[in-house]
Amino acid sequence: MKKYSQISGEISEFSELPFWKKADVVDLVYVGYGLLIVALVVVSYILGSFHFLPRDPQDIDLQLMMAPPGTAGRLLGTDFMGRDMLSRLIVGIQAYFLPGLLAIVVALCFGTGLGVLAGYRGEKFETVITYFTNLVDSFPRLVLILLVIAAFKPDIYYIMLVIGLTNVPVVASLIKGKIQFLKQKNFIEADIALGLPTRTIILKHILWHHCRSLLIIQATLGMAEAILMETSLSYLGFGVQEPTPSWGNMVQSGANYFMQGKFWPSTAPALAILFTILGFHLLGDGLNHILEGKRST
Amino acid sequence: MTTTPILKIEDLRIYFYSHSKQAFIRSVDGVSLEIAKGETLGVVGESGSGKTITALSILGLISARPGVISGKVGFQSDRIQKNLLQDLGDFVKLTARDGKIMEVSKDVAGWERNVERVMSRVRGREIAMTFQNPKSSFNPFTPVGKQITEAIRLHTSTKTEQEAEERALAWLDRVKIDSPRLRFDNYPYGLSGGMCQRAMIAMALASEPSFLIADEPTTGLDATIQSKIVDLLVELKCEIGITTMLISHDISIISRLSDSVAVMYGGTVFEYGPAKDILSTRFESKHPYTAALLASIPSTKNIKEKGYLQAIEGDVLDTINIPEGCRFYSRCNRVTEKVREKCERQEPDLRQTEAGHNVRCWLYFD
Amino acid sequence: MPKTIVEVIDLKKHFIHRQGLFSFFKEHQHYIPAVDGASFYLKENETLGLVGESGCGKTTIGRTILRLEKPTSGKIIFDGRDITTLPTDELRQLRGEMQMIFQDLDAALNPKMHVRDILSEAITVHHRISDAEVDRRIRELLERVKLKKSKLSSFPHELSGGEKRRVGVARVLSVGAKLIVADEPTSALDVSIQAQVVNLLRDLQKQLALSYLFISHDLRVVELISHKVAVMYLGKIVEMGLSDRIAKNARHPYTHILWSSLVEKRSKETGQKAKSIHVGRWGVFDFERPTAGCRFAPRCPIYESKGRPTICIDPATEPQLREIGEAHLVACHFPL
Repeated sequence: MKKYSQISGEISEFSELPFWKKADVVDLVYVGYGLLIVALVVVSYILGSFHFLPRDPQDIDLQLMMAPPGTAGRLLGTDFMGRDMLSRLIVGIQAYFLPGLLAIVVALCFGTGLGVLAGYRGEKFETVITYFTNLVDSFPRLVLILLVIAAFKPDIYYIMLVIGLTNVPVVASLIKGKIQFLKQKNFIEADIALGLPTRTIILKHILWHHCRSLLIIQATLGMAEAILMETSLSYLGFGVQEPTPSWGNMVQSGANYFMQGKFWPSTAPALAILFTILGFHLLGDGLNHILEGKRST
Repeated sequence: MTTTPILKIEDLRIYFYSHSKQAFIRSVDGVSLEIAKGETLGVVGESGSGKTITALSILGLISARPGVISGKVGFQSDRIQKNLLQDLGDFVKLTARDGKIMEVSKDVAGWERNVERVMSRVRGREIAMTFQNPKSSFNPFTPVGKQITEAIRLHTSTKTEQEAEERALAWLDRVKIDSPRLRFDNYPYGLSGGMCQRAMIAMALASEPSFLIADEPTTGLDATIQSKIVDLLVELKCEIGITTMLISHDISIISRLSDSVAVMYGGTVFEYGPAKDILSTRFESKHPYTAALLASIPSTKNIKEKGYLQAIEGDVLDTINIPEGCRFYSRCNRVTEKVREKCERQEPDLRQTEAGHNVRCWLYFD
Repeated sequence: MPKTIVEVIDLKKHFIHRQGLFSFFKEHQHYIPAVDGASFYLKENETLGLVGESGCGKTTIGRTILRLEKPTSGKIIFDGRDITTLPTDELRQLRGEMQMIFQDLDAALNPKMHVRDILSEAITVHHRISDAEVDRRIRELLERVKLKKSKLSSFPHELSGGEKRRVGVARVLSVGAKLIVADEPTSALDVSIQAQVVNLLRDLQKQLALSYLFISHDLRVVELISHKVAVMYLGKIVEMGLSDRIAKNARHPYTHILWSSLVEKRSKETGQKAKSIHVGRWGVFDFERPTAGCRFAPRCPIYESKGRPTICIDPATEPQLREIGEAHLVACHFPL
């Protein structure tokens, strides 16, 4: 039996529920967790840049090698050289935060630009841009990155640039699709008829009102991808090199000690990677449902 | 009504639930109608009046929740006789506060199974329906002719595919589609709106039902095609004399085809009676809404004088916020001091004023 | 002497029907002549009704006049200026004076903006105005279109059909429209609300000396509100004249058929046109390949009854609009 009951008293004239009432509990949990992770990352980045760390991440203490969490004031224990795990994890964020932002900015700016051109101007622009984006899309990303590394140096910023560029097709086609959808609704045409300058129509009406959620979601997914890419490359030895900590290379060097039964030096950074990427993905997913999916039309 | 009516709707209520406002949309709020055999009932109303929902509920086609919550739809043809909403009480429990239903508990899945069971031999075979958007009411992947033969074989005693095809072609010809053989093999997208409507009428009537529901048969069609469809319906009415429920917001079509008329507003029936009385300009006891509706259509006099149209003030009733008294009170221009208080506080019943003529208005009760 | 606000001379709009990958290079592309040589003029404070069946090009003419579509050939003269090929930035300045009311009620309304934003944006399109002045103008607009002040904070999806239409009209007025192309302004509305909107449009015309190009398939409303009526068929104007003349004394067979299809029962005054023309079964017309010569010939009962004279279908003698009465033009070789 399904039960429906009406509230007594005045029924509001407006139909907009605040989003916390409209959204699924699951989505709210996702978004909550995701925002927590984002907060931690940002705070850690700031702490790391100013070196506000519990201990020096390079400080070797051979007495305390691979100590479990809580030993002698090391909240997350130590790695295989007795260095404080927590400080290393915090500093590890430096490796991917700014580069990740670069990737996001590149992808969003160029993607939006091309998407707007293709969607708004249409016709020839759309055909050409679609062919071009399909072309870029079909490149295997890892191969491209390795090529860049081989041709230039294994600079994380170059790599993030490549990642950003390879994400342009995705953003472009999302924006293009959105604009084409909106065009059917006629109000873009009405804006033109009114005499609004094109700049206003695109920036305000299309992008700000209708695309901002899309772009935010793409940003979260972009960051998740950047983290994964940076840590993978560092793990393989192509990214940040020892002794500078990166979560990827921390997992790599800790792996040698598995045979000794010491799992912590590898597991700690691995868990950090897992929970952080998960956070960004869930944030993107949750926001997608709340802002784009379950919307009342 | 001396003979048993083919269709008798009693106190039908169909509510939908708005989650964002946490309130009921009372689309159909106590509708009672009767249609005698051979009669054409025209149901007039604007958007929100509940006329299409009423029609859909007769065939059990309401899928939104909670849907039908109370009432009885008695159907009697030569072949069967039953309440199409039988056992509704077993699946629904209502709670009212201050005379208004505020809570509904409904076993939706169980009711849907019940509906399928009750309606399986009724849909198409006893009661046929034509819908508002002819193009989208056909299966886009099958040729039109095949769909008609399918209906014929399902609902009549036609034995062979050959025979069904012959009948389908005969019907297509009867609805005056040009080149029936050609159109038989056409897919729905190849037909214009008018032709699709004709094909749909053919399909509905080819199953030889006892009762036809025509939902806005002319809306969306060009003016010239509209009049052709109406001509067709008039002809078919004379030839076959099938009992029809015609739903439209276009009064001219209602007036050409109907024997009796029911005027709906905000989920209830405001007026019901013989068409020639209700729709004529000279008849006196008309509901203020009906009168105002007829007056707001540009008449020849209006046009000659290039005068202003007599518009009805305000907006059509929002079926979530139903006022306490008469639903039309806020827009009514015939309220007198004598009845003002009653109009504001209490909703009038549908009562008979003359033979066969019922009105829901305080002006006519003493 | 009221001035001519817009004049259209032999306007043509052909839509190119692209097919295939290499359609860029095709020399002779397949085209649809949506508007094929229309000429008329509209004065200040005047309403020209444009009627015809769907697909006849009436909406396309309206959009082309406002330069929402690029004209293929012909001239559009707005308030004395030739705007046919005016560059976009100059056109934008003029845009305020020639506006459109769209058929779709939601068209002009961005679903994410509330009414107040929609209106204030429209007001400040061409000029920088102080907030107080914007407030004052909004209040004035609401009064003119008879919209309640409480609706200012609503979003478009919270408004009823009639209210949406009013906001659309207010928006159009706020930019200072002199010519309004109204594309089916009443079609999507309930009958009782239609009357309100029609009355509103007439009031506004009186108050502000507006000119309307009133595109509609509701012949009665067109007759009521228009001074002149033009009847279109497959991209061409087949008859044009004063509205009561067209309604009661149609000379083109198509016009007569249109008006007699008004399913009217109430009035007894339709005795004027006793000539009953029998029209054969309607077929489907193929717009993409219009017949040579008179476009109406395949459906024309006069053509049939006269034994299919070649003059009707010979492209060289395609019927042109010619004057057969006072300000009454017909494009037919055998007018009624």
